[in-house]
Amino acid sequence: MPTQKKPPIPISGVIYGEFIYWCTCISAMIVVFGTIKSFVEGSSSDIPVEQLLDAVFAGQSADAVWASLPVGSTPNAGTYLSLLNTGEAITVLGICFGVLSVGPAIFLSAAFMWRSKNKFFAITALFSGVFAVIAPFVFFLI
Amino acid sequence: MNIFKRLPELQFLILITIGCYVFLELFVKSNVLNGDLGFSGVDIVFISFILSFLVAILSVIAGVGGGVIFTPIMLAFTSVDTLIIRSTGLVVAMFSGLVASGPFMRKGLADIKLVFLGALPILLGGFLGSYAAVKLSEHFGETGDSIVRLGLGLLLAAIALVFVLGGSSNEYPQDKTKSKLATKLKLRHMYWEETLQKPVKYNVQNVKIAVFLLFAVGVTGGFFGLGGGWAVVPVLNLVMSVPLKVSAATSGVLLAMGNSAAIWPYINIGALIGVVAAPWMLGQIIGGIVGAHILSSIKAAFVRKLLIVMLFLTSFKLLSRGLEGLFNISIPFI
Repeated sequence: MPTQKKPPIPISGVIYGEFIYWCTCISAMIVVFGTIKSFVEGSSSDIPVEQLLDAVFAGQSADAVWASLPVGSTPNAGTYLSLLNTGEAITVLGICFGVLSVGPAIFLSAAFMWRSKNKFFAITALFSGVFAVIAPFVFFLI
Repeated sequence: MNIFKRLPELQFLILITIGCYVFLELFVKSNVLNGDLGFSGVDIVFISFILSFLVAILSVIAGVGGGVIFTPIMLAFTSVDTLIIRSTGLVVAMFSGLVASGPFMRKGLADIKLVFLGALPILLGGFLGSYAAVKLSEHFGETGDSIVRLGLGLLLAAIALVFVLGGSSNEYPQDKTKSKLATKLKLRHMYWEETLQKPVKYNVQNVKIAVFLLFAVGVTGGFFGLGGGWAVVPVLNLVMSVPLKVSAATSGVLLAMGNSAAIWPYINIGALIGVVAAPWMLGQIIGGIVGAHILSSIKAAFVRKLLIVMLFLTSFKLLSRGLEGLFNISIPFI
């Protein structure tokens, strides 16, 4: 039995952690589905997974890997969205879902920080959240 | 194992992941890949998952992020393109931290204020680092990369030495002086230490220097696809005088946040291959949950020893890769 009292745990941290935790679990499920679909669809897919793995483990560069596949060119966010019928694109979508959960989690946490009168950290969190959300779009525009 | 009983979502994730691989092994015809490995595509995916699970437990306990272990191993033992390895390395570094954020925050091990203090410098640094990596690989050969690897290896070895020479004093730093800035920012000064069954007090120091160092960590982490946890723990523990376990937990949360920005440049050039990254990601998630629950119940001394070993191993790997690249030689067994 503990003899001393536990210090309080900040709610803003718990909110941040829980949001990301559950989003990550959901993204894992999407990734599992994408992996199964990738192997089941086999060589009939625009992104045949065995051919993809072969090229990757042969040491080819990313551009060469994609050029060797039926899809023909290196995918970016836009092309991935148009290939959502393939297991590979669903797998990448699952990973991106987990990555993108960081932005909303920061905003939620920032709101609770503000409410608990930690304005400095609420503002730094807000800036971090904005950056996490716009980072993908900034890069796709460069 | 209590942890599996307490977390139904963990049981579910393990069940669907193992179920997925068993289904693939039994019902999907997978050809042996070309090359020396002799494994089929499904075998590669399953082996990657098991390795990732083990790496995640170790890396969460040490607060270093799995990228520190994954990236050097893959660079050393496979012929996979470096950009593909580095993008997968970021996924590895990120997902154990992402999923561990829940248990760390719930248990009060990670400090949310320190997370937000370091978030912006790490995010910005990580993004710039990965952007630089993509641009450098387009314009320069291996030479520039080798010099930075060499420098980074020396830095890591120096940090590991500081941990060794500092002894156990780093586990619960006893700095009595109060930093004015930390007081003004109302930074946390106490956490519940499960193994001692009592709260541990601490005083955060050198806030400004730490913010600058975290930016530098973000740049190097994004550049090498290492994550950055290898250096966040030393910055929090040695520079800011934060207890080792809080440093490890906060580092896990911070580096997951930082890498969430660093991954996009790699995705945009097609360097993130879903089927390669997926088993590593799944292993990191499941291993990350297990590791986060183990961290609260193990002694800080064990965390310190694990961190020292990892820092030395990584520095040896970086030094050898740097020397190999610079002098066009091959160093065996490293």
